[in-house]
Amino acid sequence: MVMGLCSLVGTQRISLKKVFAGPGEAPGQNIDYEIFVGVRLPRVILAALVGAALACSGVILQAILRNPLADPYILGISSGAGLGVIAAVLSGVTWRFWGGSPIAIFAFAGALVTVWLVWCIGRFAGKSQVTSLLLAGVVVNAFFSAVIMFLISIAKSEQLRSTVLWLMGSITEKDSSVLWFSTGCILTGMVGLFSISHKLNVLTFGEEEAKGLGVDTAKTKVVAFGFAAFITAIAVSLSGLIGFVGLIVPHGVRLVFGPDHRQLLPVSAIIGGAFLVIADTLARIIISPAQLPVGVITAIAGGPFFLVLLAKYTRKVSWLK
Amino acid sequence: MSGIIEVENLSFGYTRAPPIADGRGRARVLKDISFEVMPGTFLTIAGPNGAGKTTLLNLLCGLLMPQAGSIKIDAEHIESYSTKKLAQKVAVVRQEFVPVFDFTVSEMVSMARTPYLPAFGFEGKADEKIVAEALEMTDTAQFALRPLASLSGGERQRVFIARALAQNTSILLLDEPTSFLDLKHQVGIYDLLKKMQLEKDKTIVAITHDINLAAQYCDETLLLGADGSYRHGCTKNVFSTEQIEKVFGVRIFTAEVGQEKFFIPLGKFAKDSGQIDGKLPGNRQG
Repeated sequence: MVMGLCSLVGTQRISLKKVFAGPGEAPGQNIDYEIFVGVRLPRVILAALVGAALACSGVILQAILRNPLADPYILGISSGAGLGVIAAVLSGVTWRFWGGSPIAIFAFAGALVTVWLVWCIGRFAGKSQVTSLLLAGVVVNAFFSAVIMFLISIAKSEQLRSTVLWLMGSITEKDSSVLWFSTGCILTGMVGLFSISHKLNVLTFGEEEAKGLGVDTAKTKVVAFGFAAFITAIAVSLSGLIGFVGLIVPHGVRLVFGPDHRQLLPVSAIIGGAFLVIADTLARIIISPAQLPVGVITAIAGGPFFLVLLAKYTRKVSWLK
Repeated sequence: MSGIIEVENLSFGYTRAPPIADGRGRARVLKDISFEVMPGTFLTIAGPNGAGKTTLLNLLCGLLMPQAGSIKIDAEHIESYSTKKLAQKVAVVRQEFVPVFDFTVSEMVSMARTPYLPAFGFEGKADEKIVAEALEMTDTAQFALRPLASLSGGERQRVFIARALAQNTSILLLDEPTSFLDLKHQVGIYDLLKKMQLEKDKTIVAITHDINLAAQYCDETLLLGADGSYRHGCTKNVFSTEQIEKVFGVRIFTAEVGQEKFFIPLGKFAKDSGQIDGKLPGNRQG
């Protein structure tokens, strides 16, 4: 519903009646229809897809790291994927692998490496440290950002503006083959995650408890991290670094639907999609006819939200001690 | 009839000291231990800190693997079980913890069905019935919809026992189930465990620090010493004043009431230490 409404909003006014009238006989006859189908709709689908992927990824990271403040952006996983993307773009590789562009594959590699880093740091940091994992995320983030900046500064100037805009997180129109391929990837990832969602519930109690309830923790963690890195990477390769979706959405959904992952995961996907569609629509109209990167909107909404949560949870931990 | 738990010449040591327990890095925690638990027995594991009680519990639930010797659950080696299969035989109640996310009591107890669920798993009618029964038996049905964090310590412990019950296993392991509870709730938990033993035919193995509670409720006792010695047998035979003084390294005043014995530790500066020593009958000269 949100998708439908938002695809009607935009710099160019279009009327629903004309859209339903169907394509005209000659190209250019029904401009409203062409804008709707050719520009708005793919963009809304893309936003929904990216939002769903990021929200799911946030749910998974929060469950497995047992840290309610985890989010692919905050932990640096998005920048890891972003680094992969920039490396792929700037090195100019063009080979294809199973129909996947090298960009997506580089992004996946970058995301996997970061997830592995975060996992190791998380184990090192111990159980009750909500903040040390976040600090680790800050460090990882800073490091990858530095490498990204280095790559950008040695890049040719014509690639510069678009790369920088992409980095800020922007949803721009892609050709349909990329869109379909990414849809397939992200849906596969989400179904994979949903299949282990009952085990995720148990994993939030920690390794010992989960094993006591018959969950093969090592295998489940690898599967969950793998899929989470995968959908994050696809989302990043589509739309750059969009922050805080994976933080805000799961929290909101948890407040209403409770923490059972068999509900939390699919509902977060839907709400995450709707959330980013709305954010992207705002990004399109606020300084219309120019467009804001959508990452700006989510960060403005998410930053304060994050601070509130941080205050809440660090206090909770100090009570426990 | 053979034992449901058979432990033979079991040894275990940490190569590194466990991060929290103690920093001394003992080479061996458990040395050459053998015992057998018959189905439907209530066994308590007692002993001083660092004697390896929790280590033994972790071995029995498959979290740690034996380095020498063997553990058999239901006549099969523990190594041959998958995590899932073992969780259908053995349920564990660990020392209390507060979960990160606000699961409700009924969601918590439902998770006991995890080892029976396939991929994309949801509980069916049969699972729901088992969960409802477990809530009923542990008297936790009244707060089924409340978040776990809002319950008191005693209530929370009953919820964890309900979860273990809903796991539908023949063996139940507990690590100090009464450690943070007041007297009423301590007795309440032991009553509940006894009820589960008698009505549901569970084999129960519980670590305890309260030797008097254990003496009243448990059929058998495994007393682990910090030096690696151990005694296993009928609770009455294992708990003697001499044994307890030796293993725990503390002076004990023994009160005898009819057939029962109660053990009261005496510290050097305890108020009535001298009086009790001198005046009351039934006490040995320490």
